Amino acid sequence: MQRIAAIVLAVVGLAIGAWFLLSPDDEGAAVRTRLQALADMVNRRTVDGLGPEARGAQLGAFFTEDVDVDLGKSAAPIHGRDTVIGMADRLQPRTSAFQLKFEDVGVAMVPGGETANVHLTAEFIRRSITTGEQTLDAREFTIGMRRVGGQWQIARVTAVDTLEK
Amino acid sequence: MRVLVLAAVSFIIFRWVLIPIRTDGSSMLPTYSHGRLHFVNRLAYGTGGPARGDVVAVQLAGPHVVYIKRIVGLPGERVAIAGGQVLINGTALAEPYVHHRKSWDLDGVTLGPREYFTIGDNRAVSDYGRMPADKILGKVVF
Repeated sequence: MQRIAAIVLAVVGLAIGAWFLLSPDDEGAAVRTRLQALADMVNRRTVDGLGPEARGAQLGAFFTEDVDVDLGKSAAPIHGRDTVIGMADRLQPRTSAFQLKFEDVGVAMVPGGETANVHLTAEFIRRSITTGEQTLDAREFTIGMRRVGGQWQIARVTAVDTLEK
Repeated sequence: MRVLVLAAVSFIIFRWVLIPIRTDGSSMLPTYSHGRLHFVNRLAYGTGGPARGDVVAVQLAGPHVVYIKRIVGLPGERVAIAGGQVLINGTALAEPYVHHRKSWDLDGVTLGPREYFTIGDNRAVSDYGRMPADKILGKVVF
């Protein structure tokens, strides 16, 4: 009985290992890594000591020049890299204790390999500077990404209403 | 060997069947408090859909971040809200779990054949809306 259980466990372990090893998705992984780099940069912005221009250049590298951001009915659509960077800089003083985290990042490569559609959950964690109280907001997004000069950039961000009115 | 089997069984159960979740925020007060550990039964709706009053985990892009909401409207029903009172097919819904109402108003919406209408218990801060059945990760059991 013990022998059978050991064999079953070994087979299950091998199957799981093979599944991870034999299903590589290099481009999907590159897109995920790029998004993680964006989150890391946003989370570092409060402590890196950089000026607005340097921060703008850093952030700008993650977006295409003609990026479109649609945050839903409650906010006007945002168009263009410069507008996105300007808005991020204006938000900065109020978000000094702000953390961004991406979860459940699903990547679907478009045939041709130069664009990808991403579906993810973004977590926004804010800590009150005065009380230290932490609040968490989570929202679902679809993101269109395009490879420009070998780098994956965000071309479109659309907020998804998980609960529809 | 027993330890190995136990570890494997625990891994399978807590990864695919009984998912542990930690609540964040106050949208389900007083039923569920901030920071408490709960479990989502992913097999609860294997043979039938959720019932009215069930508390469910609603997944966003995937299963790692979920909303906890209560089912108030079932497929095919007409849901409206008048001054914070939920109406199902024109009849007021008794909601003893609600302690703080908000004077919401929502024109009637008729749910599709696989749609549910959900709200958080703490109406002072919670959101509401309809969603397809495949967004339901499972039933919050305890």
